Amino acid sequence: MLTCNDLTVAYGDIVALHGVNITVKAGETVALIGANGAGKTTLLQTISGLNKVKSGDIVFESSSLATIPSERRVRLGIAHAPEGRRIFPGLTVEENLSLATAPWRRWSQSIADDLGRVFDLFPRLKERRRQLGWSLSGGEQQMLAIGRALMARPRILLLDEPSLGLAPRLAEEVYERVKLIGEAGMTILVVEQNTVLALAVANRGYVLETGRVVLEGAAKDLKQNSRVREAYLGR
Amino acid sequence: MADFIQLSINGLALGSVYALAAIGFVIVYSATGVVNFASGQFVMLGTFAGVAMLINGGLPWPVGYVGALAAMALFGALFFLVVYLPLRSSPVVTIIIGTVAVGIALQNAAQLTFGSWPFRLQSPFEGMTIEIAGAVITVHAVAVVVGTGILIGLLWLLLHRTTIGIGMRAVAQDVKAARLMGLRVNGLLAFSWVLAALLAGIAGLMLGPMWFADVNMGDPIALKAFAATIIGGFGSLPGAIAGGLFVGLTEVLGASYLSSAYKDLIAFGAMIAFLLVRPQGIFGERIQDRG
Ligand SMILES: Nc1ncnc2c1ncn2[C@@H]1O[C@H](COP(=O)(O)OP(=O)(O)OP(=O)(O)O)[C@@H](O)[C@H]1O
Ligand SMILES: [Mg+2]
Repeated sequence: MLTCNDLTVAYGDIVALHGVNITVKAGETVALIGANGAGKTTLLQTISGLNKVKSGDIVFESSSLATIPSERRVRLGIAHAPEGRRIFPGLTVEENLSLATAPWRRWSQSIADDLGRVFDLFPRLKERRRQLGWSLSGGEQQMLAIGRALMARPRILLLDEPSLGLAPRLAEEVYERVKLIGEAGMTILVVEQNTVLALAVANRGYVLETGRVVLEGAAKDLKQNSRVREAYLGR
Repeated sequence: MADFIQLSINGLALGSVYALAAIGFVIVYSATGVVNFASGQFVMLGTFAGVAMLINGGLPWPVGYVGALAAMALFGALFFLVVYLPLRSSPVVTIIIGTVAVGIALQNAAQLTFGSWPFRLQSPFEGMTIEIAGAVITVHAVAVVVGTGILIGLLWLLLHRTTIGIGMRAVAQDVKAARLMGLRVNGLLAFSWVLAALLAGIAGLMLGPMWFADVNMGDPIALKAFAATIIGGFGSLPGAIAGGLFVGLTEVLGASYLSSAYKDLIAFGAMIAFLLVRPQGIFGERIQDRG
């Protein structure tokens, strides 16, 4: 469904991704793990069209994204829950969710069903639907960020460190939901530093080190891999 | 007492004009981060769009007003395309200087087109007055205050109940996230400029019959609208309204009870006091709202 071919991305002189090859097949959950500054966020932002490609290509459902601006990529079905959630702080929970439907919604179309689905997944958002974004807790903001991405009716969901800054129990709760979303058939590419959580929900994984993919394989094999265990699982 | 009522209504009417100019200023500032130094000239342009339609064109006022506002909407779109869009990736200061340059150009263009002799733009309610508790009040002043109230209500509905309005607020808070949500950011930014130009146009049409239509009227309006936003709270819409009304009221009451030489003293004194003591203004910009 999504393939990055030999993708190189740079910020000025700093090369953040060196010829990265990654594939996500329909229905899979793929984890991309790596330490601080490995280039994980850069990769997701490039897929969403926020960063320029230096060389290489991104192919989504057999067509190249090279010339497609970010807002059209959302319309094609690429939704992104960005690093740090980036909830609109002065909009209510419901406004945050409704605005993410802009890619598919005609002006008279109801969003009640889509809202209902997100609220079933995250009941706490329903209780807080009239609250402003900034007043939510970190965990609630993360749920809103994921819910907002789902409102776009995506074909693939890009998640950037959903566990960031959350207490362990909350991070686990968020990952339970990610697992449910994946089991319902959604294709997911999740980027994480928290290797345990990410590999627990993923089918396959990639390990990124300073802009290069150094390992890839089935999630269960990566969990056993001595290099991963040493560097990312701390044992 | 009758005097006071009459002056207060006139002050509120003038304040409504400042408030509308200030709202346009704030909408552009919060959407794009640009401090529009041409915003006074936008209002001047609105007045002279009225002069062109009603005096030069001799159109009846409903048609003339619609024509003038259509011209202002077009002007807003042009300003976005010709000034903002080409400069958008340069530092914000460059764009701000661009607005200064355009403001000067507009003033000179108006001078060349209309000459420096002021016009008298008539109100649809020309000569009509009503009496409240012995005070004689022009219907125009009342219409301006009521019309502004309705406009503010409509603006609130636009920003809180429509997809475009919620999108505008989202873009103002976080452009990058707005892009990730698939919002058409350029379209929404263009709409912000159009809306600001429209509000300035309405302010200009309202102001025409209260002042003389003079090609140099833009600068004092810009100063008052600027003072209004500082007093109300930079970037805040309720602040623009409260600040605009305050500046208009003190100007009219000050001219009559103090001296016309000092009529602006209270407004600018208040602005300086706010800058010193409470730079976030009455409503203070809630940092959370901007992300
Ligand atoms: N806007 C930018 N300008 C310049 N360099 C950048 C920019 N964003 C990221 N970088 C650099 O690119 C590299 C990869 O950063 P990136 O944010 O993609 O890493 P990451 O894997 O997401 O890290 P983290 O786990 O801390 O989020 C880093 O060396 C970083 O300093
Ligand atoms: Mg990151």
